[in-house]
Amino acid sequence: MLSRRKFMYSAAAILAVLTLFASCGAKKVAPVATGKIVFALQSEPDGYDPGITNNSFASPFMNQLFEGLVTYNALGEIVPGNAESWTISPDGKVYTFALRKNLKWSNGKPLTAKDYRYSLMRVLDPKTGARYADMLTVYVVGAEEYFGGKGPKESVGIKVINDYSLQITLKEPAPYYLGILAMWVYSPVNQQAVEASPERWTMDPATFISNGPFKVVSIKMGEGVVLQKNEFYWNADAVKLAEINFRFILEPATALSAFEKGEIDGFREVPASDIPRLRTGSDAFHILPAFGTTFYDVNTTKKPYSDPKVRRALALALDRDELIDNVLQAPSTPTIALVAPGYVFGGVDFTEAHKKYGFSSKASVEEAKKLLAEAGFPDGKGFPVLELSYYTNATVKKMVEAMQQMWEKNLNIKVKIKVQDWAIYYAGIQKLDYDIGAMGWGGDYLHPMTFLQLFTSSSTNNNAGYKNPEYDALVAKTINETDPAKAVELMHQVEDIFVRDLPVISLYSRSNTIMVAPYIKNWALTALANLYFKDAYIEKK
Amino acid sequence: MIWYIAKRIASMFATLFVVVLLTFLLMHSIPGGPFTAERRLPESVERALVKKYKLDAPLHVQFFDYVKGLLVFDLGPSFKYEGRSVNEFITEGFPLSSRLGLMSIVFTLFLALPLGSISAIKSGKWQDILIMFLATMGITIPSFVIATGLMYVFSFRLGWFPVFGVSSVKGYILPMIALSGYSLAFITRLMRSSLLEVMGQDYIRTARAKGLSETGIVLKHALRNALIPVVTILGPTLASLLTGSFVIEKIFALPGMGIHFVTSIANRDYTAIMGITIFYATILVAMVFIVDIFYVMIDPRIKLQ
Repeated sequence: MLSRRKFMYSAAAILAVLTLFASCGAKKVAPVATGKIVFALQSEPDGYDPGITNNSFASPFMNQLFEGLVTYNALGEIVPGNAESWTISPDGKVYTFALRKNLKWSNGKPLTAKDYRYSLMRVLDPKTGARYADMLTVYVVGAEEYFGGKGPKESVGIKVINDYSLQITLKEPAPYYLGILAMWVYSPVNQQAVEASPERWTMDPATFISNGPFKVVSIKMGEGVVLQKNEFYWNADAVKLAEINFRFILEPATALSAFEKGEIDGFREVPASDIPRLRTGSDAFHILPAFGTTFYDVNTTKKPYSDPKVRRALALALDRDELIDNVLQAPSTPTIALVAPGYVFGGVDFTEAHKKYGFSSKASVEEAKKLLAEAGFPDGKGFPVLELSYYTNATVKKMVEAMQQMWEKNLNIKVKIKVQDWAIYYAGIQKLDYDIGAMGWGGDYLHPMTFLQLFTSSSTNNNAGYKNPEYDALVAKTINETDPAKAVELMHQVEDIFVRDLPVISLYSRSNTIMVAPYIKNWALTALANLYFKDAYIEKK
Repeated sequence: MIWYIAKRIASMFATLFVVVLLTFLLMHSIPGGPFTAERRLPESVERALVKKYKLDAPLHVQFFDYVKGLLVFDLGPSFKYEGRSVNEFITEGFPLSSRLGLMSIVFTLFLALPLGSISAIKSGKWQDILIMFLATMGITIPSFVIATGLMYVFSFRLGWFPVFGVSSVKGYILPMIALSGYSLAFITRLMRSSLLEVMGQDYIRTARAKGLSETGIVLKHALRNALIPVVTILGPTLASLLTGSFVIEKIFALPGMGIHFVTSIANRDYTAIMGITIFYATILVAMVFIVDIFYVMIDPRIKLQ
C-alpha cells in the first residue's frame, strides 16, 4: 500500500514538473490598450463578401466593414447611412436616394451611385452565387427575370441618375422595403477589387476594400480577423476605436473563462448554464430582446396534426414559464403568436395586440384535454406516438425533453424523441418527413412581415406544409398597401389567422446575450442581432 | 530492398485510391448537401449554386474531375467557405496541429517509456500500482475532461497559462498535455506489458545466469525488443496526433486542422471532407511504411520481403 508520505512526494514531483513548464515561455501580454479591443465570436462565417453570404456569423463583420444606403442606430431605428436622404413616390414604388458627396472606399477612391448599381447587378448575376439574391428578386422590378436569364439587364429597376443619385423601382409598394435595404446584401462592393479577384478579394487585407467605419488589416483562417478604423469613412471623426480583434473561440465556456481572466473584452453567445450566475453577479452581462421567435414546426399535412384542434391542444398543454425559467434560463417572452416584440408603430408595439388572444404562459391542461377529446382522442386514447424531432444542440435537447414530459403528463399521449445532425434533420423537415420539429425564425428586418411571410403557401421557409388561400391573400394585400397604418391593421388580421390555425407551435420570443467589459461604452446590439462598434469608445479602467 | 519499397509505394497508392472512392461514395450518400445552411435557399438561388459548383454533373463525372485535380495536388474550392481552397485548410491549419502533435509525441515518449519500464521492473510494487492507476485514468477519462480540468486549474485558478490560443510558447503546454493523455496512458501500458513479456524470455534468463546486473539486462537486452509493439503503434499515433484533434482545438481555440475533421462533415463541405480524409490517409500510410522500415533497424529478426 502506498504510504501517505510517499504519495505526497510523488504529487510534489508532478507539480514540480508542471511548474517548470509554467516558468518557461514569454511574458504575459499587457492588458488591452486604449482604443483596442478583443472580441470573441463563436464561429467563423462562411464568407466575408456582403453580396454573397447570408451567414449570421458574418453579421459582426458586415456591420463594421460595410455601410449601405441606410443603416441602424443604437435603438434599432433605420437612419441615413451612405444616403443622406431619400424620397418615395406616392404609389410607394419608386425610391430615390441622395448619396453623400464625401463617400470614399477604404483605399481613398470615391464611391458613387455607379458603385451601388454595379454591386446590386452583381448580386443578380447567377454566377455570383448570392445567397440573399431573393432580397432583390422578390422586390425590384425586372430583377427576377434578369436573375433567371429571362430578362434584359436594362429593365432591372436600379438606375443611376447621376453620381450622387440612385433610383430603385419596386414591383409592389412593400411598406417595409427600407428594412430590406438595410440588409448587407445591399452593401456596395468595390468593382476593381472584385474583378481583380472575384472569388478571393475578401481573403487578403490588401484587396479587401470596404466602405464602413472599419477595414480589414489581418485575416487568418480559423483564428480571427483584425479590423482597424477606416480613415476614409464619411463619418470617421465619430469612430473612436482604433482596432477590433475578432477572435474565433468556438467553445463558449472557453470564451467565458478568457473573459473572466481579462484575455478578451467581450463575446457573444453566453453559455446557458452560466446565465443565472452572471445575471446577478456581472456588470458585463447583458440580455437584450431579439427580433426572433422559437417555434416548433408541425406537419400539418399528416394526421392527426392536420386538425387545428390537435395543434391547439398541443400548444396549450405546454407550460412556457417553466420552459423559459428552468430549461432556457434566459429571460424570454412566452408567446403563442408569431411576431416578436420590437416593431413599434404610432407609439404602440405590434405585439400589444397579442393580449386579445387571451393566452396564458402556464399550461391550460383542462382546455387542452377538451380540445383533444373533441378531435377524437378523449384522454389521449387512440393518439398515435408523437415523434418530436430536433437537431444536435444541448439547449434544444433539454427543451424537447421537458416538452415530452409535459405532453405525456398533461395529455396522456406517448412522445418519442428523435435527434439528427442539422443537415439530415433539415432535409427531413423540408420533405415533411416529421411530426413535430424544433425550428424558429430570426427576423431579417424589423417589420412583422419578416415573420408573417413565412407561412404563405409559396414561402420557401414554410416547412409546416400549411396552405391557406385566405392567409396568402391577406399577405399579398399587405405588400400592396402604401398606408402604414392600414398595413398594420392588415398584419393583425394575418396574425389572427395564424393564431386561429397554429401551423406551428410558438414557445417564446428570443433574446440575445452578450458580455462586454464595462469600460467599453456605446456599443450597440440591435434586436436583429446587429452588433455595432462604430460609436464605441473605451473609458479608462 | 528497392523492389520492396517500390511494391509498398504502389500498394500505398492503391490504398489511397480506395479511400478516395469510398469517401466520395459515402459522402454523397448522406442526406443534406453543402447548401443546407441555417435556412432554406430560394430554388433559383440553389439552382445557381449547384451550377456554379458543378454539382449538377453526373456523379462519376464529378468523381473523375476530382481525381484529375488530385493528381496535381488541387483539392478544389471549399463549398462552404467562400473563396477558400481546401489546400488552404491544410496549409493554414497543419503547421500548428503538427507542431502541437510533435510536442505531444515527444512528451508522450519521454514519459511513457520510462514509466512503462519502471512499472514492468517494479511489477506488483507500489510504483507499478500508481503508474497503472494513472494510466487507466488516462485511457478512461475523455480528452475534453482532461482539457477542461487543466484549463480550470492552471489557467483559470492559478493563472499560469493563457486560457486560449498559442500567442506565446506557454499556450502550447496545456493542449500538449491534454492531447497526450490517451496515447501517454496507452503507450505506458503497452511498454509495461511488452517489457514484462520480454523479461520472461529464455535469453533474459540466460543473461541473468551469466550474472549480468538487472539494469544491464533491461537496457542492453530487453528494452530493444520490448520497443517493437510501441514502434508499431507509433505510426498511427503519430498520424492522428499530427493532424490535430477536434476537441482540443475547440476547447483551447487553436486554429489547427483537427477542427475540420468534424465541421467539414457537419457542413457537408464535400471537397473539404475529401481533402482532409485524403491528407490524413496519406500521412497514415506513410507513417505505417516508415514504421515498417524502422522494424528492420531495431529487430534483426525481421527481414524486408
